[in-house]
Amino acid sequence: MRILIVGFGVVGQATVGLLAEQRSRLAQQHGLNPRIVGVVNSTGAITSTKELDVAALLGGELPWTRGRSALEVISQVEADVVIEAGPTSLADPGAGIERLQAAFRTGKHAISVNKAPLAVAMPPLLELARYNGVQFRFSGTVGGGTPFLDWAARCADGDEVLGMRGILNGTTNYILTQMRREMPFDVALAEAQRKGYAEADPTMDIDGIDSAIKLVILANTVLGRRAVLSDVSVTGIRGLRLGTDNVRLLAEVGETLSVAPRHIDRGSPLDVSGTLNALSVLLRNGGEVTLVGRGAGGPETATSVVRDLISIWHSHWTNR
Amino acid sequence: MRVLKFGGSSLATQEKRRTAEELVRACRRDEAVVVVVSALDGMTELLEEVGTAAAAGDRTCVHRFLAEIRERHEGSDMALLAELEHVLFGLAAIGEITPRTRDLVLSFGERLSAPLFAAELGPEAQAFDGKQAGIVTDERWGEASPLREVTRFEVSRRLRPPLDAGRIPVVTGFVGATQHGAYTTLGRGGSDFTATLIGAALGAAEVWLCSDVDGIKAANPKIVPDARRLDTISFLEALEIVQFGAKGIHPRALEPAIEHNIPVRIVNTAHPDRGATVIGARRASDDAHVAGSVHLVEDVALLTVAGAAMVGRPGTAARVFQTIADAGINILMISQSVSEAGISIALRRRQADRARAALEGALVRTGYVRGIIVEEDMSIIAIVGEGMRGTPGVAARVFGAVARAGINVVAIAQGSSELSISFVVSASQGHSAVRALYAELVS
Repeated sequence: MRILIVGFGVVGQATVGLLAEQRSRLAQQHGLNPRIVGVVNSTGAITSTKELDVAALLGGELPWTRGRSALEVISQVEADVVIEAGPTSLADPGAGIERLQAAFRTGKHAISVNKAPLAVAMPPLLELARYNGVQFRFSGTVGGGTPFLDWAARCADGDEVLGMRGILNGTTNYILTQMRREMPFDVALAEAQRKGYAEADPTMDIDGIDSAIKLVILANTVLGRRAVLSDVSVTGIRGLRLGTDNVRLLAEVGETLSVAPRHIDRGSPLDVSGTLNALSVLLRNGGEVTLVGRGAGGPETATSVVRDLISIWHSHWTNR
Repeated sequence: MRVLKFGGSSLATQEKRRTAEELVRACRRDEAVVVVVSALDGMTELLEEVGTAAAAGDRTCVHRFLAEIRERHEGSDMALLAELEHVLFGLAAIGEITPRTRDLVLSFGERLSAPLFAAELGPEAQAFDGKQAGIVTDERWGEASPLREVTRFEVSRRLRPPLDAGRIPVVTGFVGATQHGAYTTLGRGGSDFTATLIGAALGAAEVWLCSDVDGIKAANPKIVPDARRLDTISFLEALEIVQFGAKGIHPRALEPAIEHNIPVRIVNTAHPDRGATVIGARRASDDAHVAGSVHLVEDVALLTVAGAAMVGRPGTAARVFQTIADAGINILMISQSVSEAGISIALRRRQADRARAALEGALVRTGYVRGIIVEEDMSIIAIVGEGMRGTPGVAARVFGAVARAGINVVAIAQGSSELSISFVVSASQGHSAVRALYAELVS
C-alpha cells in the first residue's frame, strides 16, 4: 500500500517511525506492506516512485524539493492512501478541505488527523469519498490512541444510541483536576503549559473549541447527524472559579450539541482525572456504557493512523 | 435572503430584462437577493441545433448562428463568445458531438445570459456560472444530479462572501460542473433546480420562480376560463401537479425545498402584485375545497395486455413493465384488477405502436399473454388535493359528477397517498370531464 503523508510535524514523523517499527507485524498479521512514497509540507516535498528510505527520511538526510504544493503532489503522485496530518487551523480550514477533496477526486483513500476540515465540512467530505468509492477515516481525531469513534459506532450497530457525553479534552481536564485541589486557573494553566499538556496559545483547548469539534465528529459518525462546529453551543473554562465542586468540561449530544463546564458526581464513570478522556454512550437497551483512555499525543495519534490504515486495507483489498 | 429565478421568457428582450431587473431591485430593498437566470428564450434549442450542425460539418450554419448570438447578447462577456466559437469549430473539425461536449455547448446559453443580466443590473451585480457558484454534479451528462452536501458546502463558501459584501450574485441556472471541472447540465427546466439548491445552501427565506404566468391555476384556463389560482399548495400536491406538466416548475426542483422547508413562490415577473402560488409545508387551513386542482393529459393511448394465461402466474406484470422499460417508454398510469384478467397501461400516444410491437414480440409470441389491445385517442384526468386525504366519499363525488356528464370511465388509478385520483376517458370527453369535476369539487 503506497502512502503519501501531508504535514510532517509530530504526528507525521511519529507515523513514519511507527510504520517502520511495526513492519513485520503488519506483514505477518495483515499481509499489509505499507510503503511511504512521499511526504509534503508547506515548504516542499520529497517523493519517490518506489519507496522512501525511512531511516534517511527521519534522519533528515533526504533532499526536499522546495515549492511543490501539496495539492499538486496529491493529484500527481501515485499513492493509495493520503494521510492528512497538516496543522489544525480553524482560521483556515479550507486548505485541509481542498487537500482531502483532491485525494478523493483522484481516487485515493484518506486518513485525517487534522480536525479542522472535519469541524466545518464533514458531510460534504463524507459524500465526496462515497461518490468516488474511496474510504475516509479519522479515528485519531477523537481520543487519539483510544478508539472512541470505532467503539461508539459499534455500540450503535446493534442498539440505538440515544445520546453521548464525554470528557474529550485532556488539557482542560488536567487544569480542572488541579483547580479542584484549590489551584487558581492561571496557575493551573501555566503548569499544564510547563508540562507540555497545553499549547503556548491554549485557546482551542480552554475555550472548549477542541471538545466541540470532537463532538461534531462523533455526532456525524455515530448518529449520522449533519452537524458542523457552529451548531455547538460552547462555553469554555477560561477564568473559571471553582470551590471544591467536581466540575468537568463536558461535551454532550442529545437533541442539541453543547460543551460546557458541568458538575460530575464523584465516582461516576466520567469522573476521570488528569489528562484522561472518557466517553459515555447512552443506549436504548444497553444503558450507559463508558470508555476511558488517554487522549491525543504524537505517538498515540500515530497508532490511530496505523489502525485506520489496517481498516482501509481490509475493507478495500482483502476479504476479512 | 431570497432567490429570484428568471425563466427565458422573462429575459428574451432588453425591455423584458428591465422589468426583471426592477423586480430584483424592489426585492433587494427588503433583503439580500441571489438571482438565477435561464438562457435567453429559445437559446438552448438554438445551441442544441448548432451543436448538431457543427458536428455534421456545417460551418455556414455555425457562422450564421454566431452572428445571431452575438447580436442577442450585446453587452455580455465577449470572451465567452470566442470560446464558444472555438468549441463549435472544434466539433466541426472532429465531426462528432458527445454527451459531454453537448453539455459544454448548452452551458453557453446561461453562461452568456448571466453576465448580460449582471451588466444591465448594475455594478453591484456579479455573474457566476454554475461551476464558479459551486454546483458540483455527477457525470450523467444531460441529466446530471448534484452531489447534495458538496454543493451545499461549496455554494455557501463561494456566494456568502459576495453577499456579505453587499453584492447581487447572478448565477447561471441549469449549469453545473463535475468535481473535475467539466460543465454539466441539470436537464430541462434545470434552472428551477439551481434556484432551490442555492436557496437550500444559503438558508433562503423564499425561492421565487419568475416567469410569465400568475401562479398555478386549478385547471387549464383554456378549458375552464375562470379557473381560480391556487394561492397555497403543499409540497406533496405540487409534486403531483408538476408531473402533469403544470407550467413553471421542474419536478426535482422541489426536493431541496422540501428537505429544507423553503417556500417556493410562482410569480409573474411583470405583475408580481397580481398574486402568486406559494408551495410550502402546509396548505392554508381555511381552504375548504376537497380537491385543489383538475388536470388533463392529452394524446394518451391505453394499452391493455389481456390473456387467461396471466392469471395467478407470478412475474407477468414484471415482464410487461420490463419490456416497456427496455423499449425506453415512460408509463403514465397503471391499472390492474384483482382478477388479473388484464393490465391496462396508459402512455403517450406517439409511443403506443412501439410499446405494442415490443410487447407482442416479447409476450404474445411466447404465448405468455393472449393479445394486446390499444385504444388511441384517450386522455387522462387527474384530480389532486390535500383535502381528499381521509375524506370519505370523494371517489363517489368524482365518478358521480363524471357519470352525470355522460362520460365513460375506461380505467382508474389512485395513489396510496390519497392525494390524487387519475382515470382515463376518451379524448373527445376530456374537456367536459375537466369542467364537470371543476364544478363539482373545486369551484
